[in-house]
Amino acid sequence: MMKKTIGLILALALMAIPVAAGADTPVRGGSMIVCQPAEPPGLDPTSNTAAAIDRVVYSNIYEGLVKVNRKGEFTPGLATGWDLSADGKVYTFHLRKGVKFHNGEVFNAEVAKWNLERAMGEKTVNAHPEFFRGIAKIETPDADTLVLTLKDVDALFIAHMAEGDAVMLPMKGYADAKSNPIGTGPFKFVKWVRGDSVTMARFDGYWNPERPYLDKVVFKFIGDASAQLAALKAGDIDVISSIAAPESAMTLSKDNRFKVTFGTSTSEVIMSTNNKVKPFDNKKVRQAMAYAIDRQTVVDLVMFGYGTPIGSHWSPGTPYYKDLTGKFPYNPEKAKALLKEAGYPDGFSATIKLPAIYSYSKRAGEVIADMLGKVGIKLKVEIVEWGQWIDRIFKKKEFELTMIGHAEPWDIGIYANPNYYFQYDSKEFQDTYAKALKAATEAQKAALFGKCQEIIADDAVNGYLFSAPALRAMKANVMGFWKNAPTIALDMTEVWRKK
Amino acid sequence: MRRYLIKNITILILLLFIISLTVFAILFVLPGDPAQIILGINATPETLANLRAELGLDQPFWVQYGHWIGGLLTGHGSRSINYDMPVYDLIVSRLAVTGPLALMAIVFAVIISIPLGIYAAQHQNRPGDLIVMGFTQLGLATPEFWLGILLILIFAVKWRLFSAGGFPGWDVSFGGSLKALLLPAFALGVIRASIITRLTRSSMLEVLREDYIRTARAKGLKERTVVYVHGLKNALIPVLTILGLQLGQLLAGAIIIENVYYLPGLGRLVFQAIGQRDLPVVREIVVFMAAAVIIVNFFVDFTYAFIDPRFRKR
Repeated sequence: MMKKTIGLILALALMAIPVAAGADTPVRGGSMIVCQPAEPPGLDPTSNTAAAIDRVVYSNIYEGLVKVNRKGEFTPGLATGWDLSADGKVYTFHLRKGVKFHNGEVFNAEVAKWNLERAMGEKTVNAHPEFFRGIAKIETPDADTLVLTLKDVDALFIAHMAEGDAVMLPMKGYADAKSNPIGTGPFKFVKWVRGDSVTMARFDGYWNPERPYLDKVVFKFIGDASAQLAALKAGDIDVISSIAAPESAMTLSKDNRFKVTFGTSTSEVIMSTNNKVKPFDNKKVRQAMAYAIDRQTVVDLVMFGYGTPIGSHWSPGTPYYKDLTGKFPYNPEKAKALLKEAGYPDGFSATIKLPAIYSYSKRAGEVIADMLGKVGIKLKVEIVEWGQWIDRIFKKKEFELTMIGHAEPWDIGIYANPNYYFQYDSKEFQDTYAKALKAATEAQKAALFGKCQEIIADDAVNGYLFSAPALRAMKANVMGFWKNAPTIALDMTEVWRKK
Repeated sequence: MRRYLIKNITILILLLFIISLTVFAILFVLPGDPAQIILGINATPETLANLRAELGLDQPFWVQYGHWIGGLLTGHGSRSINYDMPVYDLIVSRLAVTGPLALMAIVFAVIISIPLGIYAAQHQNRPGDLIVMGFTQLGLATPEFWLGILLILIFAVKWRLFSAGGFPGWDVSFGGSLKALLLPAFALGVIRASIITRLTRSSMLEVLREDYIRTARAKGLKERTVVYVHGLKNALIPVLTILGLQLGQLLAGAIIIENVYYLPGLGRLVFQAIGQRDLPVVREIVVFMAAAVIIVNFFVDFTYAFIDPRFRKR
């Protein structure tokens, strides 16, 4: 009896070991089909800011000097590390040795220099040449060292070097980057079937021989919410990287064939307010609106609970975040009082223009119209096509209110530009932001970027609603997929499939 | 005959010119700066200017138009901004999906509608007719996308007989591609069948009242011969006309079904190109479609003239 029991325990223990290992240890091989809602307009992240491009190629095909990890921290990419001089102006990047591009070209300091010069050059079509323009001098003392001397301290320099705009292209194979991307990443480009999918395969010469786990990744472009869902349920795809209809996340999470993950992203959904037109030029009116909006209810009604309320233009997933959601708690009475003080005891009428391509924007617009209606602000809802939005609202500033998600990380600087479409002009903010950019230490950065968040929250520049979720659904055997989206990428390097 | 040809070809060229100019002008004044849409809302003014210069968007209207037409005439079509490939190749690859899809939809429509239409006409105002007419009423009221999704839920999600969408490509798998088009073509075909069933029925009813049908019956022909040989042949003329129109419509108008089944078709291409302001794609497709319609009509006219001398004198 005793022997039997011991034998049984031994047998169980032996069985348990491989099971435990199988559950946690990544396995190599296999392929995965990931649904990405929007098809990228070209595959070159250095000439176009469309988020869909970065989501497909960044960290998969292309890499930059610096990488963002799952937690949103800056970690080594093509540079194994970097030193900063005492005055905060000279960055010395130590480049990874033995890195090759997919076409066999070698990556070294020379190539890095050429890439940076290309991005900041006169003929640049990089959407953000200003990320690089602060560089005064580029030196390459040897093939593995890159010394960048900045004109001035730039607190966001490393953050910018970690964005898709700063990826490294090969000097010979760069010309067709839009349709035949060649990078240093864990996957090499195979083909792009226009209108359908982008396929990439493991790059055997990747600098980290342990990665990637998968042999093949296919990004399939399915925008329609019900089509995404049907494709997952029918087994055609393995992952929906961003669920178009949050209401379906609930039912999917109850199905044990699938799992749903809900994380943070860099996108802030805001009710942009034209600070130059009456009555929105009045701070009290804007603050009254901030009191009149119940953010949690907005999240519940628009995103079915998947979203994080915000109180300023900063995502909870980004470093130096300051929770300011308590600044204007929902209080319609206070809103009415403020409106009265501002000289609108009976409220007023206004128009909110909502871009047709974003369903969250249209839904949120309707919910907000109802909430503002309760304090006497009657909103007329107008739906506009995306091109119209760019033209009339963004460029010509012909709007009172609108609703949009700002997806780029570290973009609070738009409030320092008085000509930006919401036309916020505050000396205090501009000065604080300039100081923040020159902050040398982490503590200073936290304090000054925190202050920036606070100033615009106080001024209620825009209606700060919620940070859009990174809401994904996948088959239960998909492992290692990023839960959060601290940068705009769908990094497949560490994703694997449980057998 | 030669004068007739010259006159018609001149009209054809003139029409194409007017169409190209109209399309170009409309897209020229369309709000929404392509450079801004491409670069996003945080782009710097300098980069925007550089991109506009690269795309030639900073040139005056006539220069841009001349450049485009000149390119088309010398066989150098534009390149898609987003897809970075010749628009012509894009159109060809998309037609390889939409063309067969439209044809299969028409085949489904014909298989369903012609027998039903004839049956209904033969059983006018009897229960069979009423049931058929009831179904066509239902078909007319059903939105395409709804039927499309329903078919996916039943055949792909529940029974797993089909994939929920997508298109493998003819070169990858012929059978797979055909299978991928089956459900969307059926969804498109069923809806169109409703219209054509009603048309076949009324056309048959009209023909069956003609004198020559009475004569056919009087001379003792079998009812089957009367209906299928003498009746159907004549009744099909208006049906064929409508079928032709439907086919043309399907080539560009299957956008919704193409979205539901995420097929890389022509309709979705235009739709996406308009949203992203990929103007070279939009204008070349519009001109291509217009040209196709005009040229087909031209040949139809020409055939009339060939058959019936009366047309030549006009």
